[in-house]
Amino acid sequence: MKRFSVASSQFSEGSWGAGTPAREALAAARIPVAVAFVWLALFGVRASAQPQPIVLKGGKLLTISHGVIENGALVMEGGKITAIGTAASVKAPHNAKVIDIGGMTVYPGLIDSETSLGLTEISAEAMTNDRIELSDEIMPHMHVYDAFHAESELIPVTRLNGITNAIVAPDSEDTLPGQDSFVQLAGASASEMLLVRDIAMPLNFTGTQRRNESFEKMKFPGTRMGMAAQLRQAFLDAQDYQQKAAEYEKKKADAERDKKSPPSAPKRDLKLEALLPYLEGKKTIVLAAEGASDLQTAVGLAREFNLKFVLNHISHSRSVLDYVASLKVPAIVGPIYETPKDYERFDAVYSLPAELYKRGVKIAFASFDAHNARNLPYQAGFAISFGLPPDEALKAITLNAAEIWGVADQLGSLDTGKVANVVVATGDPLDVKTDVKRVFIGGQEVPMTSRQTRLRDEYAAK
Amino acid sequence: MCRSTTICRWLFCLSTCILAACCFAQQSSSPPSRDVVIKNAVVMTVTHGNIKNGSVYIKDGKIAAVGESVNAPASATVIDAGGKYLTPGIIDSHSHLALGDDINEATSPVTPQMMMQDAFDYQDKAIYRALAGGVTTSLLLHGSANMIGGQAIVIKHKYGADRDTMLFPGAPRSIKFASGENPKRVYGSRHELPSTRMGNFAVMRDAFVQAQDYMRSWDDYNAKVKRGDKDATAPKHDLKLEALADVLRGKLLVQIHCYRADEFLTEIAMAKEFGYHIRAFHHALEAYKVPEKLAAENIGIATFSDWWGYKQEAWDAIPWNAVLAMRKGVRVAIKSDSNDFARRLNQEAAKTMRYGGATEEEALKMITLNAAWIIGVDDKVGSIDVGKDADFVIWDGYPLSSSAVPNKVLIDGDVYFDRSLPGYGMPHYSEGQ
Repeated sequence: MKRFSVASSQFSEGSWGAGTPAREALAAARIPVAVAFVWLALFGVRASAQPQPIVLKGGKLLTISHGVIENGALVMEGGKITAIGTAASVKAPHNAKVIDIGGMTVYPGLIDSETSLGLTEISAEAMTNDRIELSDEIMPHMHVYDAFHAESELIPVTRLNGITNAIVAPDSEDTLPGQDSFVQLAGASASEMLLVRDIAMPLNFTGTQRRNESFEKMKFPGTRMGMAAQLRQAFLDAQDYQQKAAEYEKKKADAERDKKSPPSAPKRDLKLEALLPYLEGKKTIVLAAEGASDLQTAVGLAREFNLKFVLNHISHSRSVLDYVASLKVPAIVGPIYETPKDYERFDAVYSLPAELYKRGVKIAFASFDAHNARNLPYQAGFAISFGLPPDEALKAITLNAAEIWGVADQLGSLDTGKVANVVVATGDPLDVKTDVKRVFIGGQEVPMTSRQTRLRDEYAAK
Repeated sequence: MCRSTTICRWLFCLSTCILAACCFAQQSSSPPSRDVVIKNAVVMTVTHGNIKNGSVYIKDGKIAAVGESVNAPASATVIDAGGKYLTPGIIDSHSHLALGDDINEATSPVTPQMMMQDAFDYQDKAIYRALAGGVTTSLLLHGSANMIGGQAIVIKHKYGADRDTMLFPGAPRSIKFASGENPKRVYGSRHELPSTRMGNFAVMRDAFVQAQDYMRSWDDYNAKVKRGDKDATAPKHDLKLEALADVLRGKLLVQIHCYRADEFLTEIAMAKEFGYHIRAFHHALEAYKVPEKLAAENIGIATFSDWWGYKQEAWDAIPWNAVLAMRKGVRVAIKSDSNDFARRLNQEAAKTMRYGGATEEEALKMITLNAAWIIGVDDKVGSIDVGKDADFVIWDGYPLSSSAVPNKVLIDGDVYFDRSLPGYGMPHYSEGQ
């Protein structure tokens, strides 16, 4: 149970309200041990992996949490940031490798709040894709970590642009397609890269989850009514399952106390079991809707079962932004390149991040992509043109994301004690012309090579 | 995850060609006759550097003068750019917008008689959304399901105007060819020819052999008529073969959807075998592998900045492609092939400054003058030079960056988009029009 409470603490970060530790401990006690193992968080960077302290000296440090430090210095030791300040004030540790980064800009590794990295290689080649299980709409027992391909060529391509962490999520054509993992984009193996397994679960209610390709091929759920009914039934079934499990535990305890033979255990159902942490409010649902009506239906469902949730997409919900703000939950926005509806102005989606920010909604950007995840910062940069303050745009791919995912004690800003995921670039992280020069993940410098740089070098030399 | 969107975009919106805006296009409304001066702008001319605090004088929709100061009548309407950047209108050399579901006539691998103008939905809001991103001219191509697709149209993004006013007057005809995976997939999935690259090229070669026969039969007939042979019987008119004959006669710009280096070479050999010229390879993600071969044939490329991996033939794509090819003498355009990307081609062009170090002017050229060359309208648009059409973007922000957005877009000297206006931001359009 101790490890379990460590996992829970991942979700107490951020300002949007998590259960108290006491409540969580209570809830944990009701959950079968087997379930606890399934959603055990494995967050932890191998601190021993960084062989030598590194000092970045002379650059402009965008700390995110405490402003900008001109002519700064940052020390990475044992995989963590151990000091940060002006170059004059920070003392280099004994044996440190000092790297002069004068003229460069330094910022924390960027966090992409939804990708399919590790689940795809070539989009059109079916055998290289493990993105979604379409055989049923209710698939909460699908765990992306079972498919995560650590050796994917897409991962080096992505991290070369300063993205060091990402949510990996299944595709969205199921209402409950499975559970997300939070990954680090470097590591010796998949298990090292999968920092938090089953960190959250998408609930998609955008209409594309309908099985209504044609009347001939229509099957349940062919409508939004069907989607809602199916979801409701799934959560009711999970509640029944939960109750039976609790009754069994009680009977078992009674039997032990009375020294009688134990009752027979109820049959395990992985699908329903997977829903329990969400019904308990111990894990976060990522609630995806586009338009205002879908959003309100989805929120209604979530409230019916007391689900803890963050919002996702809401690209065409402009007419209800005050309602969105009243929910007091964060929103994953993007892609802001989503085409507006014909009745919307050209900038209806571009300006959504700014409009949400003005209403006090905590936002984080996501690429919702894999090959193009490397372009995450430009999306944030573009939102500036439509009223999002530049500092907030950068925050929405660093600290805000870390807070939303409950990892802000470890990631998201340049602060002493945090994991040393640090990017060194030629300028504004959000500008498309900025070249990323160095990337450190867990204090280790990542080689600035990918399949693409190798092809470039091979042919440029000819 | 937008998987289905991505797949749709890539597999079925695959690219190709045109017909002749010029044959049918009659500009139905006369160009604005009033004089306009844009002053106090950083004028990015594309051909002769930037002019700080520059002005442009527009007369009858054309650029009449450009410089630090211009001689314009006192009665001219003045647009004060407030120190903002002024660029030529963006030109998208590969688009399928306003064609709805009618992009691919995927019922035969050879359909050169398809006219995209017949499907052109001039009320499609995608035209407006691209306009709001600074696009003033687009080449609307047939898709890439067919080895030889249909004939394209060139439009100006005068959203709110009538259909014929949107057609680019005097633009040359283009035709779309394709190669590689898409024809293979479309016909192979039906167990029809072609299902391999051998099949692809065999279908094409066969089509041109038929076209040669067709031309010969007409030449024979015409010769007989000329000799006064009253018994001469005219061959049957065949739209398809007539279109192919126009390719062989050099009347159509050939725009080829092509990814792989080996296929560029096969396409070039095919063109030589039948005696036509290739204007540009589109997508051309492996141009960096054989840039000299393309430069030697004066073949341009219309490519993406950094899209990759969406299918096997896009697996070797690298974001340095555009600049590596340019440095070896290839004329490079960055295009959208997407209603989404059409709205921010400036950002895509700016990526070439980062990946490979294109200069500001080189990057801008990829979405203006070079794109205009691919379409064959570089004598009319694509730079800020006297005599050219007054198609401009006034930008909020530096255009070659992540955070720039058009403030105003002018076409033929007329403001078609103005961000400061309410609603859609269009002086010539309101809902319900």
